[in-house]
Amino acid sequence: MSFRIMWSNQTFPPTLIMSSITLRVEFGGGLELLFSNIKQHKLTLPSIVPSNNGTKLNGEVLSGGETKPADVEYLMHHLRDNLLQERPELFMEDNTVRPGILVLINDTDWELEGEGEYALKDNDEVVFISTLHGG
Amino acid sequence: MAPKICALCQNAKAILKRPKTGQQICKDCFFYVFETEVHNTINEAKLFSRGDRVAIGASGGKDSTVLAYVLKTLNERYDYGLNLFLLSIDEGITGYRDDSLETVKRNQQQYSMPLKILSYDELYGWTMDRIVSQIGKKNNCTFCGVFRRQALDRGAALLNVDHIVTGHNADDIAETVLMNIMRGDIARLGRCTSIVTQGEDTIKRSKPFKYAYEKEIVMYAYFKKLDYFSTECIYSPDAYRGHARTFLKDLEAARPSAIIDIIHSGEAFEIREEIRANQKAQQTCTRCGYMSSNDLCKACTLLEGLERGMAASGITDRARKKLDAEGPAPDNIRTIPFFQPPSGHPLVAVETTA
Amino acid sequence: MSADACGNPAVETEATMDRRLKYDRSKACIKCKINAGRIVVRHAVYCKDCFPTLLSTKVKRSLEPHINPRTELSRRKSLKASGNLLIGFSGGLGSTVLLDLISKIYLSNRNELRPQDPTDGKARGGKDHPRNEPVWQKASMTDRGDEIKSLMQDKYQNLELIALRLEDAFDRKWWDQVGGRASTDVAIDVTNEDLYSRSISTSDMSDPIQKLRSYLSALPTHTAIDNAIRTLTRLLLLHTARRTQSSHLLLGTSLTSLSIRLISSISEGGGFAIREEAQEEWHPGNSSSSLPIRLIRPMQEITMKECSLWAWWNDLYVIGKEKRPGGKQGIAALTKDFIVGLERDYPSTVSTIARTCAKLAPKAEAVGSCILCERPLQPGVQEWKSRISIRATAPSSPSSAPVLRSLAPLLCYSCHTSLTSRSSKSISTKSENSPTPLPFWASAHLNALNTVNAKDEGGDVWITRRVGHNEMKGAIGEFLLE
Repeated sequence: MSFRIMWSNQTFPPTLIMSSITLRVEFGGGLELLFSNIKQHKLTLPSIVPSNNGTKLNGEVLSGGETKPADVEYLMHHLRDNLLQERPELFMEDNTVRPGILVLINDTDWELEGEGEYALKDNDEVVFISTLHGG
Repeated sequence: MAPKICALCQNAKAILKRPKTGQQICKDCFFYVFETEVHNTINEAKLFSRGDRVAIGASGGKDSTVLAYVLKTLNERYDYGLNLFLLSIDEGITGYRDDSLETVKRNQQQYSMPLKILSYDELYGWTMDRIVSQIGKKNNCTFCGVFRRQALDRGAALLNVDHIVTGHNADDIAETVLMNIMRGDIARLGRCTSIVTQGEDTIKRSKPFKYAYEKEIVMYAYFKKLDYFSTECIYSPDAYRGHARTFLKDLEAARPSAIIDIIHSGEAFEIREEIRANQKAQQTCTRCGYMSSNDLCKACTLLEGLERGMAASGITDRARKKLDAEGPAPDNIRTIPFFQPPSGHPLVAVETTA
Repeated sequence: MSADACGNPAVETEATMDRRLKYDRSKACIKCKINAGRIVVRHAVYCKDCFPTLLSTKVKRSLEPHINPRTELSRRKSLKASGNLLIGFSGGLGSTVLLDLISKIYLSNRNELRPQDPTDGKARGGKDHPRNEPVWQKASMTDRGDEIKSLMQDKYQNLELIALRLEDAFDRKWWDQVGGRASTDVAIDVTNEDLYSRSISTSDMSDPIQKLRSYLSALPTHTAIDNAIRTLTRLLLLHTARRTQSSHLLLGTSLTSLSIRLISSISEGGGFAIREEAQEEWHPGNSSSSLPIRLIRPMQEITMKECSLWAWWNDLYVIGKEKRPGGKQGIAALTKDFIVGLERDYPSTVSTIARTCAKLAPKAEAVGSCILCERPLQPGVQEWKSRISIRATAPSSPSSAPVLRSLAPLLCYSCHTSLTSRSSKSISTKSENSPTPLPFWASAHLNALNTVNAKDEGGDVWITRRVGHNEMKGAIGEFLLE
C-alpha cells in the first residue's frame, strides 16, 4: 500500500487517501470459464477512478468531476477489459452485468448495497455468479 | 435460379413468399388467399347481418386503409349488403394525425365511403397536447387509450352504426395475449382473443383482420398500391409493450407460425370458473352512462382529474385519495356528455360524396 | 392500427412499467426483523438464517398438498404417498437444488430443515417405500455420467441412480423393460402436413441412436428440436416412474423456468395444456384403472436467483446441463433471454406470469391424448388450421400408395406444429422417401388404434383414416357455388 497526497474536487477533505484498494473477486456458476477458468482472483484497483469507467491505467492525475471513488461498476469494466478472455457479452451488457448474473458484495445481495454504485472498500469481496449455467 | 411456379395455381410465376405459411405464390393467388381468409373469418364468426351499418375505425394507417379496401371488395364480391362508413378520431397531437387524416379523407374519395371525424377536443375539451402539457409524458398512454376507446363508441353512436370494425391484426392480438399474461390482467386475457366484443351498453366491435399477419397487410397494400401513413406516436414512451413487441418479432423470425400459434393458445383457454365468479360486475357510469366497473368510468375519472388539476388521480390510488379528500367534484367542471347507444335516429347527418 | 404503444384502444392501464426501488423500505430481514438482510427476493429482504426456512416453506407448500392420493389441504393429516419417489435430475441448477432440498427436508436423518414436531409424519420414502431414485437424462454428446455417479456416491447414498438416455425412447429393449405394449415400429413422412405413417421392419433401423438422430434431423426448426427433446425427456421419466412403481415424479423447475416454459409453450400453440406445464397427472398405459403418477414441481415458487444463492451458500456443485449446439435460435431460448432480462428490471413479472396462467383452464373437453406427448388432445385442431390458412385451392390428389394412416388428427396442436411448421431456413434433411421413426410409445398408441379397427381374417386389416377437409371439397367441389 502506498500513500500519496492527492487533491481532488470530490467532497472529502484533502487528507491522506489510500491510492489503491485490494479486492477479492470470485466467479461462480460457470462464469469462471470466461476468466481462464480461475474462480478466485485477487486484485488491486486505484481508489479513485475515471467516471467514464476508462480502464487504461496510465497514471495521470485526473481533475475532479471526471473521477469517482472506485465502485462495482468500475470493477466490472476493469474485469472485462483486463481479465476476461472471451465472450464479453456473456459478462456485461449495457454498462452492467448481463441479466442472469447475481452479484454479492461481502456475502450480501448487491441490490441491498446500491448495486453498481457501491463504493468499494479495502479487502471487500465481490462474487459474480451466473444463474444461467445449465439451469 | 430457375423461376418457381406458384404453389397454389401451379400456373403463374411465384413472386412472393407468404409470411404466414411460407408458400411461394403469385400475386393474384396472394390477393385471393388474403381476401378469402378474411371472408372465411367473417363468415365463420357470422359477424354481419344484411343491412348492417358498419363503421371502420380509420386511422390512415395501413391496417385501416387496407381494411376499408378489403371490406369494400368483399362487400361487393359476396354481396354482404353492408353500409360502410369511415370513422376517424383526432387526438389533437400536433403533427401526428395531420397526415393520416389526409389519408383518410383520400380514402373517403377513393372508396366512396361517408367519413366522420371526431376530435378529443369536441368530445372531452382536451387535446392530447394539452393533456401532456399538464401531466407530462409519463401516463399519457393511459389517457389516450381510454379516451380513444370511448371516442370510437361515441362517434359510432352519433352515426347510428350497428357495428365498429377495427384493423387489429394477428400481430396485435398475439402481442396483447402475451402482454395480458405478463401484466396479470386476467379479465382482458379472457376477452382478447374474441373476435367480437359486445358490452351491454356498447356497440358491437370486431376485428376481421384477426388472423391476418401484419407483414401480409403491408404486402397487400404494396401490391395493390394503396397508400397510407405510418406514424409513430411522439409521446409513446419506453413502454413495456415495446419489449413484448420486439420479443414477438423475434419469435416470428424463429418460426413464422408463432403469431397464429399464440392466438390459438389464447383461444384454447379461458378463466377458471371459480375466478370468474369473483370478477367485478359491469355497471354504467353515473356521470356519462358509459360501461364501467365502478361508479365513475375510467374516462370520467381521468377527465375529472385533469379538470381539477390532479391528473394523476386517475392513475394511482394515492392521488385518488388525495383528490377525494378535497371534497366532491365542483359543478362547473367539464364533463363528458351522456352516452346514448344508437337508437335508430342518427343525431348527426353524414355527408356523402357519392 | 398502428403497431406502437397506443395503437390499441384496449390499453387502459399504464403501458409503462415503473422501475421501483429494489426492496421495500428497510434493509432488515422481513421475517425475524433482527438480522441484516442478505438477499432481496421480489422486493422482500431476508437474512441468511431465515433463508432456508423460506425455501423449505415454499417447497412444502408446492408439494405436500399433492402427496396423499386425495389432495389434502389440511396440514394435520400425515403424509403418506402411495408409491415411491422419483426425482428427475438433469444436472442443472434447478434439479441440483431440488435434490438437495428434498433430501434435507424429507430424506435425511439430520433434522436440518424439518420442524421440531416429531408427529409431523414424513411418511415418505423412509417408512413405507424405501426407494427413492434420481433419474438422469442425457442428450447425446458428452458424457457426464462419471461426474453424476460420483456426486450420487458422495452425497446421496440412500438414493438409487437410474441413468436414462434420450435414445432409450427408440430402444425396443427399454420399452419392453418399462412394460410397454408390444408394437411394430412406425415411421412417418414429415414432408407432408398430414404426416402419413407406415410400419417399418425392425431391420431397417434397429440402432436407437440412429433412430434418434433420424428423428431429430427430420424436425424443421430449432424450436421443434427443443420441444422434441423436452417431450422425450418427460415421457422417459414418466415411464421410468411407472417401472419403479413411483407415485410421484419431482422435477426441479424453478419459478423462472416455469414462467419461461409457460410463455414458450403458449408461443408454440400449447395453450390447451397450459395447466399441465405446472403440474400433471399421468395415467400409465392411458388407462384410468391404475393410480396416476403425479408430476410435481416443488421449486415452482422459488426463483432462479434464490436457487443460485442456495447453491452458493451450501457449496452445491452444479454439474450443468447439456449445451446443445445451435440451440440459441429456438423459441425456448428466445423466451429465456426475454424473461431473464425482464426479471432483472421488473422482478414481479416472472411470478405474475405463473400466477396468471394458474388461473386458466382449457375451454373445451379433451378428446383423448396426443400420441406423441400424451397431453390432453384438443378437438378440432386440423379443422381450425385449415380454416385459418388456405394452403391449397385445388383439391389434393389422393395418394397413389396404399391407403395410409394420417397422424395429424392424433396429435395436439403443439406437436403437429412442431413437426410441420417451417421457418425460412428449414433445417430438416428429410425427403419423402426417408421415413422418420417415432418413439415407442407413439408407435404403441398407433398400433392400438389400428388394432381396434383390425379385422382378423387372414391378415386383412382395415385402416381408417380421417378424411381431410380438402379431400371432401375435392369430392363435392364442382357443386359449390362459392
